[in-house]
Amino acid sequence: MNGLMPILVLSTSLVPALVIFFLDESHRNARTAINIGGALAKLALVALMLEGVARDVVYETRLPLLPGLDLLLRVDALALLFLTLSAFLWLLTTIYAISYLGDGPNLSRFFGFFSLCVAATTGIALSGTLITFFIFYELLTLSTWPLVVHHGDAQSMAAGRRYLGYTLCGSVALLLGIVWLESLTRPIEFTVQGQIAHLDPTTLKIIFCMLIGGLGVKTALVPLHGWLPAAMVAPAPVSALLHAVAVVKAGAFGVIRIIYDVYGTPLVHELSVGLPLAALASFTIIYGSIRALQQSDIKRRLAFSTVSQVSYIVLGASIYGPVATIGGLVHLVHQGLMKITLFFCAGALAERLHIHKVEEIDGVGRTMPWTAAAFTIAALGMIGVPPIAGFISKWYLGVGGVQAGQLWIVLVLAGSSLLNAMYFLPLIYRAWFVRGPAARTLTIEGSAWLIAPAVVTALASLAVGALAGLAFSPLNWATLIVERNYAP
Amino acid sequence: MIETGQILLVLALAAPLAAVMLVPIVGQPLRILPWAAAPGLAAALTLPGMSVELPMFVLGLTIQLDRTGAMFLGYGSLVWCLAGAYARHSMANADRAPAFCLFWLLTLAGALGTFVAADVVSFYVAFSLMSLATYGLVIHDRTASARRAGLIYIVLAVLGETLLGAAFMLAVSNAESTLFTDVHAALATSQWSNYVFAGLLVGFGIKVGLVPLHVWLPLAHPEAPTPASAVLSGIIVKAGIIGLIRILPADSLSPLWRDVLVGFGLFTAYYGVIVGLMQSDAKAILAYSTLSQMGIVFTVLVTGLGGPDAAHTINVTTLYAIHHGLAKSALFLAVGVVAICGGWAFRSVMVATALTALAIAGLPLSGGALAKLAIKDVLGEGPEAFLVALSAIGTTLLMLRFLYVLAQKCGTSTAAPAWGLVLPWAGIVFAAVTVPWMIFSELSGTSAAYALSPANIWSGLWPILLALVPAIIAIWRWPAVRLTVPQGDIVVLVEPLVRRIGERAAQASVQFSVPRVTWIAAPLGRIDAAERALRSGSTQGPILVIVVILIVAVLAS
Repeated sequence: MNGLMPILVLSTSLVPALVIFFLDESHRNARTAINIGGALAKLALVALMLEGVARDVVYETRLPLLPGLDLLLRVDALALLFLTLSAFLWLLTTIYAISYLGDGPNLSRFFGFFSLCVAATTGIALSGTLITFFIFYELLTLSTWPLVVHHGDAQSMAAGRRYLGYTLCGSVALLLGIVWLESLTRPIEFTVQGQIAHLDPTTLKIIFCMLIGGLGVKTALVPLHGWLPAAMVAPAPVSALLHAVAVVKAGAFGVIRIIYDVYGTPLVHELSVGLPLAALASFTIIYGSIRALQQSDIKRRLAFSTVSQVSYIVLGASIYGPVATIGGLVHLVHQGLMKITLFFCAGALAERLHIHKVEEIDGVGRTMPWTAAAFTIAALGMIGVPPIAGFISKWYLGVGGVQAGQLWIVLVLAGSSLLNAMYFLPLIYRAWFVRGPAARTLTIEGSAWLIAPAVVTALASLAVGALAGLAFSPLNWATLIVERNYAP
Repeated sequence: MIETGQILLVLALAAPLAAVMLVPIVGQPLRILPWAAAPGLAAALTLPGMSVELPMFVLGLTIQLDRTGAMFLGYGSLVWCLAGAYARHSMANADRAPAFCLFWLLTLAGALGTFVAADVVSFYVAFSLMSLATYGLVIHDRTASARRAGLIYIVLAVLGETLLGAAFMLAVSNAESTLFTDVHAALATSQWSNYVFAGLLVGFGIKVGLVPLHVWLPLAHPEAPTPASAVLSGIIVKAGIIGLIRILPADSLSPLWRDVLVGFGLFTAYYGVIVGLMQSDAKAILAYSTLSQMGIVFTVLVTGLGGPDAAHTINVTTLYAIHHGLAKSALFLAVGVVAICGGWAFRSVMVATALTALAIAGLPLSGGALAKLAIKDVLGEGPEAFLVALSAIGTTLLMLRFLYVLAQKCGTSTAAPAWGLVLPWAGIVFAAVTVPWMIFSELSGTSAAYALSPANIWSGLWPILLALVPAIIAIWRWPAVRLTVPQGDIVVLVEPLVRRIGERAAQASVQFSVPRVTWIAAPLGRIDAAERALRSGSTQGPILVIVVILIVAVLAS
């Protein structure tokens, strides 16, 4: 049973994907049932495994791919951190997407790729070797492209081209790095420590740059972030998934795997590549915030905010010390919850009231109170207001940074908080304290299915912060990961 | 297991938060306000020494009623209850009553939380809640001036929050736990203590109104509805004071730092008086008086906390802060009460208000006299002691100015006053007179009889008598002398500049040619242009990716 578990989890999204592709456009109810059913089944399996992994059970599936090259699916604590997030948010995003897209065209194609994209994310989470990781990473690239260009207009196609251009180049770098590394030793498994410590330091440094550079495209590290703001032309549920779970997180997750499971923190520290990466992440944090401040389109503002926030994860991973690592890992979940809330809200505002620009949000608190409240919680969390999720991440990153002797990290965090406040507080102010156009007076929040996911994720971002001491909170799970595997 | 007492202590904070949920449901949410702080009052009176650990919340919260915490919680809850009773009537016909209740309850929970927090994280959670929720009270009226005050408030509040957060991160990094006692001990050996200190100073300095970080205070306190002004000046500034009490690493301060800080405190004490005298709005005068008084408290704290008797310093500061909190909130409410009273009611209110106001200046036999007496032995005999004593003259003048302005506001109604407004005010006045006497011996370590000695009565009396001379001259001889300074004083100098920078920075993406403040906007515009160029074609991106990775790889080798 334990050997079957990874396959089962993977198939909860892979099977729906394949079925939906062959489903006729008109079978709306069947499509919905398969989608939701798959998502629920996955959540149940994940819950089972959470309990198991907490007791040190190992779930592992090994399939021979080529002679000497295995496809290894393995559930460890880190994999579950990412998997739980994606399973939970996939369910909510599916509900949201069904309501958001309504009866639009090409929905079978959309939901097929949507499920495929989640299957790829699951695969990334479960990967036990570098090659397995790469395969799913590429599957993710290819399955998200049809989602980005879903509208099919010129702007979408251009964004799609840019997206592919950037990510495929990143993939080339990543693949070359993997091949080079594995040609020097043997296929790399994440659980085996010290596989590459004997190699030449200079070679290792170059390979590290290639790997991180390749992953840095999806992670949207400046200057490789150009595709992300463009990709926000996609439908809101896609943006939500891309920004919170799938694409950028896959990159960040890969960075964590490279640093902790391929190289290992002692080696990263020895090669002194951690600090430059931390500096690059910090630069991205500040740069993304400044760019966000300059955007007047809400989704674009959120997109640059993602550029900034995802680098918190990289920052946490690149600092040498357990506390900062916890901060980075936990932000993987926290940022996902908060950012998906913001995109859900932005989508709902666009859908219901055709609000796209910052100036148009005036008085929304009166017309769409639930949406505005969810947005407020998530935005305050991004700023780092306690006790919302973002505060926990920042606290661990800051304290961890100081403990590692890197005082400047506190400055970066403080600067980022201020910039976050500068671009989020005006939105909150306009929504609640400025009177909107007279035409908008009634409460027209509309379908609960469009609004409820945002409310749920907003409450979740509040809960994971306010109740961070509970046994299965993301914070405690991240602490468990660090205690088990990465304590330097 | 959890005892009943602990439940009550948790309720002190949980009840107002739970009441927030009731606001949208109940028909008249204003009815909740008088009762929201009742559990806090009950806990403060019955549970001294109680502490509760709540490990499941945030990073583990600890709340504790040590002597300081219990005293602050007690007086704070009392004022919140009575001001809530006042608000119930004064806001009854106001617009947006539910919104007012919401922000009121959140601010209340946060403020009481800062008083009982025993660890850094609990304190920070409570402090942030309070700071952000206060914004809703400040801009309640939605007038242009309220929005301006709100903007200046929130900018400084967010800045303060951020710096406090950074300071706390530094402070806990080498502490055994986040408990204040551990953090305080760790700071003594921390290599970052100077940075921590700077962060705390600015963060708390903004809250207590230390010049030049005070600019929001004289704008925001008067702008809020009257009951909110009362709690802003009466309680919320004290959250900054208790923060300083809890964590200020005064024993690791160099003498030079200490002198500089005493200078800041004294400057604030006098600055508040001088600028306050030039105000013509009753609430603005009170707000300036608040920052002047907080200047004195700050002086006492930095003088005493570094010395051998830090515990005593904390006690007397508590006494001073509590008296000021009670008296000042009574005075703010009086501004509302006077407006509805005429005839005999007006005269009695004015007499009571005059006594409350002069109590702040240290009128003998008043609670203020006790407070001034208590801080004396901390200040010792040096020049700061003399300057603090002398400031009582200024305070008297400022209070006389307040009474003078207040008297112009006399209502015309000769009917019976609205008891819903008068009684809460009278309750706080009563508390301001009696509470300091009740806690004096415990906090100052001397008996009440000592306070009644002729020498001590005289030391309270002479500044007031001295102040009467210029006051009488000013009223009778030079009614035309008018030196006015706008509310918020120096903020009017920096405000246009900051506003322009903000606008330009935000617009920099739209246009390249920026008339003024180019030094900040132009680089931002260039960033945007660079990204645009990158975005124009789909091929440049990939090329960039490869180039960047190659460059980095070459550099790394």
